[in-house]
Amino acid sequence: MPFLIKMAWMNSFRNARRTLLAGLAIGIGLAALIFTDGLMIGMSDSIVRIATDTFMGHGQVHAKGFRSTRDVARVVKGLPGVLERLRADPEVERFSLRVQTPGMLASPATSGTVLLYGVDPGLERPFSRVDEAIVEGSFLKRKDRRKILLGSKLAEALEIGLGDRVVVTAAEAESGELAQEMFRVGGIFHFDVRELDGGVGFAHIEAVQRLLGLPGEVHEIAIHFKSFSGNEAADAGFRSRFSRDGNEARSWRELMPQLSAVLDMSGFSSLIVGIILFAVVSLGIVNTLFMSLHERMFEYGVLRAVGTRPGRMAMMILFEVGTLSLFSILVGCCIGFVVTFLYSVQGIDYTGIEFAGVTLKEMIYPVLRLEQFVLFPMCVFLFTLVAGIYPAMYAARLKPAQAMKAYE
Amino acid sequence: MPGDPVLIEADDVSKVYRVGEVSVSALKSVNLRVARGEFTAIAGPSGSGKSTLLNILSGLDSPTSGRVSLAGTPISGMGGRALSDFRRDHIGFVFQAFNLIPVLTVLENIEYVLLLQGVSRHDRRERVREMLSTVGLEGMEDRRPPQLSGGQQQRVAVARAMVSRPDLILADEPTANLDSATGGALLDLMRELNERRRMTFLFSSHDRMIMDRAKRLVVLKDGSLVQDVTRNGA
Repeated sequence: MPFLIKMAWMNSFRNARRTLLAGLAIGIGLAALIFTDGLMIGMSDSIVRIATDTFMGHGQVHAKGFRSTRDVARVVKGLPGVLERLRADPEVERFSLRVQTPGMLASPATSGTVLLYGVDPGLERPFSRVDEAIVEGSFLKRKDRRKILLGSKLAEALEIGLGDRVVVTAAEAESGELAQEMFRVGGIFHFDVRELDGGVGFAHIEAVQRLLGLPGEVHEIAIHFKSFSGNEAADAGFRSRFSRDGNEARSWRELMPQLSAVLDMSGFSSLIVGIILFAVVSLGIVNTLFMSLHERMFEYGVLRAVGTRPGRMAMMILFEVGTLSLFSILVGCCIGFVVTFLYSVQGIDYTGIEFAGVTLKEMIYPVLRLEQFVLFPMCVFLFTLVAGIYPAMYAARLKPAQAMKAYE
Repeated sequence: MPGDPVLIEADDVSKVYRVGEVSVSALKSVNLRVARGEFTAIAGPSGSGKSTLLNILSGLDSPTSGRVSLAGTPISGMGGRALSDFRRDHIGFVFQAFNLIPVLTVLENIEYVLLLQGVSRHDRRERVREMLSTVGLEGMEDRRPPQLSGGQQQRVAVARAMVSRPDLILADEPTANLDSATGGALLDLMRELNERRRMTFLFSSHDRMIMDRAKRLVVLKDGSLVQDVTRNGA
């Protein structure tokens, strides 16, 4: 075996330029895969972070059936107990309590629909980015019972500005009777997210509770975890702990299924691109091996003539492929690490680009992870070995007389 | 040699190549017996079928019809692996050029067959050194083929062919790429080994030097054996 390895090693570098070019081609393919994976992880992390940090949170608890019916009478069951468990849960960093209702918003000029959230200013300010998104006015204060914050597009559509009065009409939870509450516009926010800017308003939780006739009740508890991995195992743990007593807990994946699907699809697309990339590279390897094989046909003929078994001939070619592969992996890992590391420090500017309803607001930083330098190289090694099977079989089936005759 | 046991038996051997739609008869019903210890040359003009016959006798190629036995073993119907093992254990080869593996040293080129046979490292090294001494290349173990002259390379090839102590050494135009002095010296070495070690040599060549030194001359013409002469004085 060491003899075969030595021969493979030395044969690989007989035509150093060709080996270098082939190795570089495979290596760049691997480096591209490492970088793309790092970028996709960085982008996914960023998108999920933006989506969860903006307002939604990492997970939410509602009364069972609330999300599908939006029935304002379905409030979180056993709220004091749930809050107690949330405060005691070591994984929960913070949470925010909300009531919400669809309503009609009337300004002096016109009217429109709004999804009105009642939020606790003390809990909401550190929880979401509503405060940061205020472009005019200011966020709610503890005593601002008459203040409403509106999205920039909604304010524009209603032809209202800071200090104007608006009336919200909504159905009471118990009776279904229409109830009205007058607010004064105290802030205008701009998230650069269509749904939020064009159809959402925020008011003090007690004001909205009063409007709906739900004193002390909430529809939604949004939660931030201390270490947010975003993986499905963590989601399952959260669900099992809080989906009880008539309530249901949902992770961000279930709250934004379209985003989760798009991210999964992006991962799948990367896989397809990776497979295509390596299929093309594999054809290059087969070509390189055949060129090398035809150049040394007489030698192979001699090796067969002196008694080298077909299987050993195939092994010899596979060892040569293995050598080329290891060289390529070394090149690819080095290039991949350097490029990904540089961009992970410097970042890539995608700000302003919308992805699955989420507008990127920060630099994307590709992420380096161990799998990129273990799993991908292993795949490359296997890919190249599989690509080498055909030339290896060809060499094993060589008839010595024909091999030598062809190159006399 | 008369009285010696037969090593090669070729009965009614024919070989037909197909080139597109055309069939070319390279060998036509050739019958040949070679005894152990012979120093035989197969001669004939280009295209007469010398190399084809040599390839068939050594199991490098298969006959279209006929039967070949070597040391009593029929080789015509053997499969790839069995035939490889048979060649490894019974036949040594010397080709006209590109004989050696350029990435291996002289020592590694020679020991390769022993390695295939599973001979221990110690025994391999000992036998290689002995062979190098026999062919007059002591001290060149670590050189690579491109660092040797054509004559030296052929000597290494002879050493490789002999190191496994085969029954038969086949040499296809071994002097074709050598000048006459080097070629003559190589043939003298082979002849000496034949006489000293009773090794069987079978050549394919139209080189006058080989024909002059051969003890038996088999002449092929258009794929047929037309002359078979044993020369006691050669």
